[in-house]
Amino acid sequence: MNRALATACHHCGEPLPATPVLVELDGQARAMCCNGCAAAAAWIRDAGLDDYYRLRQAPGARVDEAAADYRSWDREDVQAGHVEHGSDGDRITVVVEGMHCAACAWLIDRALQREPGMREVSANAVTGRVRLAWDPARTKLSALLQRLAALGYRPHLARGEQAERERRRERNRLIIRLGVAALGATQAMMFSEALYLDTAREMPDATRDFFRWLSFLTSTPVVFFSGWPFLAGMLRELRLRRPGMDTLVATSVLLAYFASLAETLRGGVHVWFDAAVMFVFFLLAARFLERMARRKASARLDTLARAQPALAWREGGEGLEQVPVTALQAGDRVRVGVGEAVPADGELETAASFDESLLTGESAPVPRQAGETVYAGSTCRESACWLRVQRTGSDTRLSQLARTVEQAQAQRPRLAQLAEAVSMRFVLFLFAAALATGLVWWQLQPGRAFEIALAVLVVSCPCALSLAVPAALATAHGTLARMGVLALRPDGLDALANADTVVFDKTGTLTLGQPQLRGVQCFGAEGREAVLALAASLELGAGHPLAHAFGASASAAEDLQAHPGLGIEGRVDGRVLRLGRADFAAGREDDGALWLGDGRQALARFEVADALRPDAAATVARLRELGLRPVLLSGDAAAPVADVAAAVGIDDHAARLSPEDKLARVRALQAQGHRVLMLGDGINDAPVLAGADVSVAMAGGAPLAHRAADLVLTGTRLGRVPQVLELARRSRRVIRQNLAWAMAYNLIALPFAAVGWVTPGLAALGMAASSLLVTGNALRLGRLPAEPA
Amino acid sequence: MTILLFLIPISLLLLAVAIGAFVWAVRKGQFDDLDTPPLDMLRDDDRPMPPRPDERD
Repeated sequence: MNRALATACHHCGEPLPATPVLVELDGQARAMCCNGCAAAAAWIRDAGLDDYYRLRQAPGARVDEAAADYRSWDREDVQAGHVEHGSDGDRITVVVEGMHCAACAWLIDRALQREPGMREVSANAVTGRVRLAWDPARTKLSALLQRLAALGYRPHLARGEQAERERRRERNRLIIRLGVAALGATQAMMFSEALYLDTAREMPDATRDFFRWLSFLTSTPVVFFSGWPFLAGMLRELRLRRPGMDTLVATSVLLAYFASLAETLRGGVHVWFDAAVMFVFFLLAARFLERMARRKASARLDTLARAQPALAWREGGEGLEQVPVTALQAGDRVRVGVGEAVPADGELETAASFDESLLTGESAPVPRQAGETVYAGSTCRESACWLRVQRTGSDTRLSQLARTVEQAQAQRPRLAQLAEAVSMRFVLFLFAAALATGLVWWQLQPGRAFEIALAVLVVSCPCALSLAVPAALATAHGTLARMGVLALRPDGLDALANADTVVFDKTGTLTLGQPQLRGVQCFGAEGREAVLALAASLELGAGHPLAHAFGASASAAEDLQAHPGLGIEGRVDGRVLRLGRADFAAGREDDGALWLGDGRQALARFEVADALRPDAAATVARLRELGLRPVLLSGDAAAPVADVAAAVGIDDHAARLSPEDKLARVRALQAQGHRVLMLGDGINDAPVLAGADVSVAMAGGAPLAHRAADLVLTGTRLGRVPQVLELARRSRRVIRQNLAWAMAYNLIALPFAAVGWVTPGLAALGMAASSLLVTGNALRLGRLPAEPA
Repeated sequence: MTILLFLIPISLLLLAVAIGAFVWAVRKGQFDDLDTPPLDMLRDDDRPMPPRPDERD
């Protein structure tokens, strides 16, 4: 076995901690990163499903140790609108996180099938959806979901089922069109071939016409049924008075078809049914490949682009209770922590500021006073707040905006827009060129004029040009998704390929972001347990990486206020307390430790240390090899920052930086002409992530950071970053190759066709080959990068 | 050449049958998931099913 197995968890592929959990599989002891993964692996082994480890192409998802509680999913009000009750049991479709390859779908299928009361499972690895049918009398939905979660696949309620069904129908229609085109076109071409082989013109006219009518018969469904997307596209483009690719394709096809029909009727010399059907079939094939690549890319994004959280903290009879968003009703009181998304539209009870960029596109946080309305999908910043729910579910403004968001997903990057604009001009030029060629030949040789004009129109159709960029981008995004990286902005990949400087944040990026408590010193009357509880209450609402270190807390602090770079302040049991740097919390000299106090008097001093990510040093070295200059900018104290910088091999580092300082540093680098890639995770990073040329956020970070980032790593492996960078550079190269090829082909083919050396059939073949070539070249980006040993 | 008059209608009939079968297959969802089914045959189900571990407590 190679070394990768010894350093990475056998189940999820994440770096191993110092003391891994060992599970015996196939007679060999395998190291697991945590008890969650170990339990999942042991279950898979005991269930006889260990073939999963041989079949899979990507590591599984990390399994949470704490079993999630899905009991609320059994409630009637939660299931409403999602569960279909049928005579043969209940059905639901859930979206699952962490399904990476077909082996995952296979595992889910087998694992759930042996649950009692399970009627039917179908898992689709492409869309990330699992359809369950069960007998409510024998099992509960929560038991099934628990099983899913215990294997590392966290279920979520599927939104937009309607849209998904519509997409499936559309895909099936496209497959049928393609199949009919393939079958019809081969037949039509065979009959045409019989005509071509009659070079000596010995065929009796009756036989010739018989074959022509047969070609007509078999090509008619190809042109009008399979070719309908192009015909409909032409109608749309003509209505908008913006003739584009579809107009050109449809015109060529219809011209070839109707001219052939006319020739057949009057017994002319030539028919071009073969050109028409080939054109339709090959273009449809190229379009199908591009559509599939795009669907793969967007399916994964769909599952994670859930602006609305699935669960909310509601005030119930006994304090806070976590409920699914669907269970919220108008009038409920809901608490929203810092960095969390607002679950429903509601009236604010305490003043707070919100990032409403999802709703308004305005990235600066908007302060809202008590009594004002805040909208679902906006993110709470700086201090936690309470709100009274007014509108939920499909009534929220977010849901109304859902269609707009969908459109944003379909939005084209700059490069694609450029290629489209160029090809549109080219289309107009081509019509003119074809007309001119036809007129010139009309003077010289009227009999060939139509054929040559048609060849010009067909051979230099810039279809390859309009496919060159979208096909490459769609495939690259699909590969990214399979690597566990989500591209949130269309231009992110392009910007990434250009980056020459990489700025790291320390906590949560180079380090694990889950600090361990190394020591506690008490100064006040409170004992160790008491100060830990106070610190935990303060951290509970802050969503800060330090929160894990203090353990669980029963109640959250009130009036919580985050002071970026300093610490947090809040009220616990009526006392105003601060947690953070010594000068902020206890009025002492900053010593790098974490202090709890009221701003003047110290209560306790916490020694906290954060472990380095196992692959941090290798990542920095790899990025340096790729020609990027690493820089470390941190808000932490000088000593730990210098330690981390030395450990991973970064010379250029700065400590004690506020978010504004970091942004200023990034701006300074940009002013020197550098293109900056920013890697961060925390709330403090959001402005820097937005300010850099391109940014990558770690998934463990606060949700807010993701909104500002161009790309999000959904796994925890830092080593993905250089891989993504290489993919970005590879896509740039492929896009350039494609554009160069498409341009060169169109410019060279046009004169050849104009002088009459190319028949329409040959023209259709050349054009289609060119389109398929660029699509095939783009599909090369679907290869996953090799895992580092 | 009269054989053509017989053979060509047959080929057209076969074409219609092929298209019909293809449309039926697509409608039945045969093309919905092209990744998972190939894995199924790589594994034999001959091994006796182990007792389901009782993991719910």
